[in-house]
Amino acid sequence: MGQMIIMPKLGQTVEESTIVTWRKNEGERIAKGDIIFEIETDKAVLEVESFYEGTLLKVFVQAGETVPVSVPVAFVGTPGDEIPDPSAGAPKPRPAPTPLSNPPSSSSPAPAPQPPATTETASAPKLSDPQPRKTTDSPERQAISPRARALVRRMAIDAANIKGTGLTNRIVEADVLEYLRTSRYDELRVTPAAVRLASREGIDVLALPPPPPGERIRVSDVERALEERPQKLSRMRQVIAARLTQSYTTTPHFFVTVGVDMTDLIALRTEHKANGGTYTVTDFILQSVVLCLKDFPALNSRTDGESVEWSSTVNLGVAVSLDEGLVVPVAHRAGDMTMAQLNERVRELVGKAREGSLKPDEMKGSSFTVSNMGMLDVENFTAIINPGESGILAVSSTRETPAVIDGEICARSIMKITLSSDHRLVDGATAAKFANAIKSKLEDMDLWQTLM
Amino acid sequence: MANFDVVIVGAGPGGYPAAIRAAQLGASVALIEKEAAGGTCLNWGCIPSKTLIATAEAYHRLRAIPGLHSCSPTLDYAALVEHKNGVVKKLQSGVQQLLKANGVRSISGTASFTSRNRLAVTGSETIEAGHTILATGCTSLVPSFLPAHERIVDSRAFLDRVDLPKRLIILGGGIIGCEFACMAANLGAEVTIVEMLDDILLTLDPEIRATLRDHMEKAIGITVMTGAPLDEVSANNSCVQGNVGDKTIEGDLLIVAVGRAPATGKLGLEHAGIATDESGFITVDDFGMTSAATVYAIGDVNGRTQLAHAATSQGITVAENIVRKERTRMETLIPAAVFTSPEIGVVGLTEEEAAATGIDVLTGKFAFAGLGKAIAVGETVGFVKWVADKATDRLLGAHVIGAHATDLIAEAAVAIRSELTLEEIGRTVHSHPTLSEAWMEAAHAAHGTAIHAPPSRGK
Repeated sequence: MGQMIIMPKLGQTVEESTIVTWRKNEGERIAKGDIIFEIETDKAVLEVESFYEGTLLKVFVQAGETVPVSVPVAFVGTPGDEIPDPSAGAPKPRPAPTPLSNPPSSSSPAPAPQPPATTETASAPKLSDPQPRKTTDSPERQAISPRARALVRRMAIDAANIKGTGLTNRIVEADVLEYLRTSRYDELRVTPAAVRLASREGIDVLALPPPPPGERIRVSDVERALEERPQKLSRMRQVIAARLTQSYTTTPHFFVTVGVDMTDLIALRTEHKANGGTYTVTDFILQSVVLCLKDFPALNSRTDGESVEWSSTVNLGVAVSLDEGLVVPVAHRAGDMTMAQLNERVRELVGKAREGSLKPDEMKGSSFTVSNMGMLDVENFTAIINPGESGILAVSSTRETPAVIDGEICARSIMKITLSSDHRLVDGATAAKFANAIKSKLEDMDLWQTLM
Repeated sequence: MANFDVVIVGAGPGGYPAAIRAAQLGASVALIEKEAAGGTCLNWGCIPSKTLIATAEAYHRLRAIPGLHSCSPTLDYAALVEHKNGVVKKLQSGVQQLLKANGVRSISGTASFTSRNRLAVTGSETIEAGHTILATGCTSLVPSFLPAHERIVDSRAFLDRVDLPKRLIILGGGIIGCEFACMAANLGAEVTIVEMLDDILLTLDPEIRATLRDHMEKAIGITVMTGAPLDEVSANNSCVQGNVGDKTIEGDLLIVAVGRAPATGKLGLEHAGIATDESGFITVDDFGMTSAATVYAIGDVNGRTQLAHAATSQGITVAENIVRKERTRMETLIPAAVFTSPEIGVVGLTEEEAAATGIDVLTGKFAFAGLGKAIAVGETVGFVKWVADKATDRLLGAHVIGAHATDLIAEAAVAIRSELTLEEIGRTVHSHPTLSEAWMEAAHAAHGTAIHAPPSRGK
C-alpha cells in the first residue's frame, strides 16, 4: 500500500506553492529523509524530504506547476501498486513532509500584514482546484485538430491567430491553410533551419520582423526572438514586484533627507577596531534607529488607512542585497537588546541571508527597515516602504564634504540619510524630528561611550 | 601629392579583387605591390602548387587505370616547371589586364605609413589615402634553429626549383607540408614528414585525418613521423640531416612548412596607430576595420583565416563597406580545400567543435566505397560526413575526403550558409552517377534512412 506525497504547508500564510525541481524521477528508489523535490513559496525555496520509503511511482505535479497546499503531488509505493486517482483524495492522511531547516535560497522584502488566523492544520485536503495550474500563463487552450496542430507546428505559426470553423469553433486543417494563404505565408522568406528552430521553440515566424530586401529570416533572427521572448519573473521577483507596487501605489510616501557628520564616529570606530572591537558603522546606525523608534511610535506602527497598529517592540528589518534580489531578515525584539546583542544577531542574520539559509519566520514581522547602500558609492537615494511598516531609512555613502563649523570651512565625513514615511501616519514635522534624532545620536560620542 | 579614395597595399587574392570592386563602385583606387600581381596564391602558392599536383596525381593514377596496359609515363620535371611558370604568367597578365580595364592605378614599390592617411612608396611619390586596405599577406616562418643552407628551403623557394630531389624531408604536417609531401611522393620522391604535434592536420576531423594518413603512408609510401620535433639539423654538399627522437633522418632537401607570419614589417603601422595581436597579425573587427578608423586589413595579415578565398571575400566586403558606406560583416563560413592524396574538403564545424558549444550533434556519413560512380571510376577511398544539430536538423559542418573532395565541398558550403537541414539535402535530387550523391546519402544516413548503406545497428 503506497503513500500519497502532498504539497506541504510551510507557514501560516502559505496557500499554494510551486514545484521548482524534482530531485527524484519516476521509478527511482526513495529512502526516508531523501530530498524528493524543491518548492518555492512566496517567501523561499525549500527542500522537501520524504517521510516514506519506496519507489516514486507517479508524479502528478510537474516542475513549474503551482498547486494549493495538501494537494497530492506524487505517489510512493512498491512497483505494481495501483496508482490511485489523486483527485480522489489522499489515502491515509499523514502529517505532511516538513522542509529541511536549510532552504537553498530565500526571498522577499517583508511580509504583508498577517490575515486573521485561518482554521488550520488537520483540515481535509482542499481539492477545489485539482488541476495543476501552470505558472507560465498559457492562454486558454484552443480546440484544434491533430492534423491542424501538426501543420501549425511545422509552419512555426501561432494557432491563437487562426479562426476555427470546425465543430464548436475547433481549428481544422483547412483553417490553417486559409490562414497561411491570407497571411501570405508563402511569400515569407525564411531559411529551412530557421523554420525548424522556430517550430521547435514555438516562435511565430509571421511575427518576426520582416528581413531586409533580398535577405531571409535566418537562424540568428529566430535566436534573437528567443532571447527577447518575455521570461517569467522568478517567484522571488514576482513577490518583490507585487509588494513594492502595492506599497508604492497605496502608501503616500514622502521623504526627508538629513546629512550626518560621521567624522567623530568614524574616528571612534577606527579606534574601536584597532582595539579588536567588532562594531561596524552599520551597527551604530542600526542602534541609533532602534533607540529613536522608541521615542517615535508613529514610525514603529502600521496602518491600513482605517486603523493603526503599534508595535510595542522594535522588530528591525535589515535589507540585504543578493544576486537574486533583496531579502530583509528581521532582528526581532531589537528594542530589548543591548548593542552587543543586536550586533551579534544582525551579523548572524546577514550571514544566513547570504548563504540562503534564512527560515521563513526570520523574514517576517519587521516594524521598521534600514536599507544601507553606503558601500555602493551613492550620494543619496530613497527607499520604498515595506508593506506593513510606516517608514524605511535609506543610508547613503559617507563622503568627504566641505562643511562649515564655527564659520570656518573644513572637510568633514558627511553621510546622507533619507527617511521614507507613510504620510497617513507620519507628519512632516515628525519625520524631520525622527531623522534629526538619528543624526543627533550618531553625532553624540558621549552616548556611544556609554553604549559600547 | 597623388590622392586616392582607396589605397590598397598588396595585390594578392585579397588586394586585387578589393581594388577592382572599389573601382567598379566608382572610387579612385591605387594598388601598391612590391612584387608580382596575384600575390603568394598566384605566384608561389595555390596556383603553381596545384599545377604540379595535377600532374603528380595523373602520373600516379596512370599506373593503375583499369584496362590500360603498358602505360608507363616518364616524368620531365623541368618541363612541368616550365608549364607551371606559363600558367602563372598567364594568370598574372590576366589580373593586370583586369586592373587596368577597371581603371585601377597600379604602383610598384613598398608602402609604409607616414601618418594614418599618408603612405610613402619606395621609388614613387607619397600618396594620400581616403581609406587604406592592408592586404600584405604573410610569409613562411623559418625557425631560427635551422641553418641557412641551399638544401633548406621554404615552399616558395621549392616551387622555383627546376628539379625534384629524390629524398625529401618536410618539416611541418600542416596543409602546405602534406600537399607538398603527396605531390612529391606521387612523382616518385621518397618523402618523410616530421610533425612535432601528435598528428598531421590536427584541426581536421579525426576520421578524415586517419584516412589521409593511412593513404599517405600505405598507398603512396610517405613516412609520417609525429609527436617529436626535428632537431640538430645540419646540411652539407651531399645531404641534409636531422634527428627525430633517437632516429636520424637524411634527405636531399628539407622543406620548411611550419607556419606563416604576417607581412607587416615595412608598413610602419605605428605611424597610423594600428594595433596588432601578440603574433603580429593586424587586429580587425568583424567589418575588417583596424584600430585606425580609415584603415582596414584583409586576408592573411589579419590572422582570421589564412586562405586565398577568405581574403577575396573579405576584400570585396571591405571595399563595399568603404565605398558604399555600408556595414556588412565579413563572411565567417569559409570552406577549406586541401590538395593532398586523396583531397580533403571542409566547411563549418567539426563534430568536436559543435559538441563543445553544447549542441546535441547528429552526424551522417557515407563512404565512397558504397557509391556506384566511385566504384566505376576506381576512386573508392574516403567518405563524406555531415555534422548537424539534432534538435533542429540544421547543417553545421561538412567534411569530405576522397577524389574531387575540393570541388564537392562547394555544395556543402552553399547548404550550410543557406541554413539548410539534413532533410533538405536528402530531398534534393542529386544527379546519378556522380560523386555528389554521397552528400544526399549521408544526409539520409544521419536519419537512418540511407538506401545504399546497411542499416546501422542499435537504431
